[in-house]
Amino acid sequence: MSKKAKRLLHVGMLVGLVGVYLSLDESTKRYLNHIGKQVPYLPYRYFI
Amino acid sequence: MADYDVIAIGAGLGGLSTAALLAKEGFKTLVLEQSDIIGGCCSTFETEGYRFDVGASIVEILQPMDRFFELMGKKREDYIDLIPCDPIYSFITPDGQRFSYPTDIDETTRVIEKIAPEDVEGWERFCDEALDKMDEMMDSMMLAPMNTMGEAMSMTIKNPNVMKFMPLLLRTHQAVTRSYYKNPIIQASVAFQSYFAGAPPEIGSGIFGFIALTEHLGIFYPRGGMIAIPEAMMKAGQEHGLEVRTGQKVEKILVNGGAVRGVQLEDGTEISSKVVVSNVNAKVAYLKMIGTDNLPSWAVKAIDSYRHSMPCPMIYVGLDTKPDLEAHHTVVTGSIDMMNEVWNDYYTKDLIPNSAMSLVCWPTEADPSLAPEGHHVLNFMCNAPAPYAPVGDNWDRIKDWYKEESLKNLEKMVLPDVRDHITYLEVSTPLDFERRLLSPQGSIYGLFSDMTSLAMFRPNARSRAVKNLYLAGSSTHLGGGVPVTIASGVITSRYIAEDHG
Repeated sequence: MSKKAKRLLHVGMLVGLVGVYLSLDESTKRYLNHIGKQVPYLPYRYFI
Repeated sequence: MADYDVIAIGAGLGGLSTAALLAKEGFKTLVLEQSDIIGGCCSTFETEGYRFDVGASIVEILQPMDRFFELMGKKREDYIDLIPCDPIYSFITPDGQRFSYPTDIDETTRVIEKIAPEDVEGWERFCDEALDKMDEMMDSMMLAPMNTMGEAMSMTIKNPNVMKFMPLLLRTHQAVTRSYYKNPIIQASVAFQSYFAGAPPEIGSGIFGFIALTEHLGIFYPRGGMIAIPEAMMKAGQEHGLEVRTGQKVEKILVNGGAVRGVQLEDGTEISSKVVVSNVNAKVAYLKMIGTDNLPSWAVKAIDSYRHSMPCPMIYVGLDTKPDLEAHHTVVTGSIDMMNEVWNDYYTKDLIPNSAMSLVCWPTEADPSLAPEGHHVLNFMCNAPAPYAPVGDNWDRIKDWYKEESLKNLEKMVLPDVRDHITYLEVSTPLDFERRLLSPQGSIYGLFSDMTSLAMFRPNARSRAVKNLYLAGSSTHLGGGVPVTIASGVITSRYIAEDHG
């Protein structure tokens, strides 16, 4: 696969994910926002 | 030579269970409690002839407590008189409808059938899926260490049945509830557990859904008040040489070369030990008692990332009459959406909600000895969760306003003539709770609980940042609550016995 095709695939996936996110109800969005903010800390939390 | 083998900071259920079990194993063990009474959140205080529970109001899922006494070589019945509470809950809906869930599953089915016949199938499906081998699950899930990926995998391999609970763990309480029930009243009656346990249904783990069923194994009130549980554990430990000192506030956990060497009390006294068990909030233990200078930077980042669990204002009421209630617990419910709204539109914005949702606990229904003859005791939680620092105000200033608003709610929704019968009333705000228990920001369950701060992602019971430091209680696996903090003590004592026995 060429570099251009790869980039298009990534952009397509990103657009798809944003589309899925926007189609979710407000409650699920709040849940995902909450979890999303915590995820970066998980590697640290695992070791404490 | 160290003064003690083990020092436990805090005489909550986690600290006492760990310390008692280690005393039984022959460790020279000391518990230091800052307050004059033991038990932490699971405690009882006496004033003007009434005995009020500080926080915890019942005990359920008896397996961890029974395992504790079994390991101590004792019988629970010889130490605690547990009074069954039936019905489990009484509910009052926003439009004033009242109903109760009895302990008996079939009777509960009939209650659900009257309110929402369409939800009987969901209730029966939930019971069928979860009731099977529940006792076995309780033992394997609650008393197994899960502080590492390896331990979690080992527990799952030994008990493959736990896999059937994974869908609960990985989904939200709201999603689990809605997958079984359609009627908003029934949904609210099984979704409030996460709300009062410190996370709204849209964030709380689906495992909270399990509580709606485990309660049908029985909920119990210990005769003499909730303090009867820590007192029983202390007594069992003292019979094996456990030493408990109250009114002894630990200021510092002493660390040398990355390992603990004892504690320093508020008055400067140093007591040395090989092992320190922290039964205080993990953020306080690491960031204040040990101090960031004694921690690697990753550990500071990790511990700093946790949020405290919610605070919860409480009102203690003495009455000169029997209240018109049906159960030990009366829940003024709302809908799942109302619970989420309180969290998102009020609590997280540091505003006090104006919702009528509340929890009324009536301990004298089970144990009349908690009040003078003919009198009763109520513990009332209203407008919860409420912020620690309300915008533009503080709890000391708004205490009277809060008391009045809560009484109005109590009159409107639960007991219309309550004001005429009040003989004692005390409001415990999040600030009061912080002062009484040294619980930062008045948090009642240690650290906030969601999927990202449970099991191996909660501070490890065997610290990896400081050698010979161990954690027990609500800040470590399995979180806050009477049975789970006792379970944490069983797990932590096993770690220490393995490492130092």
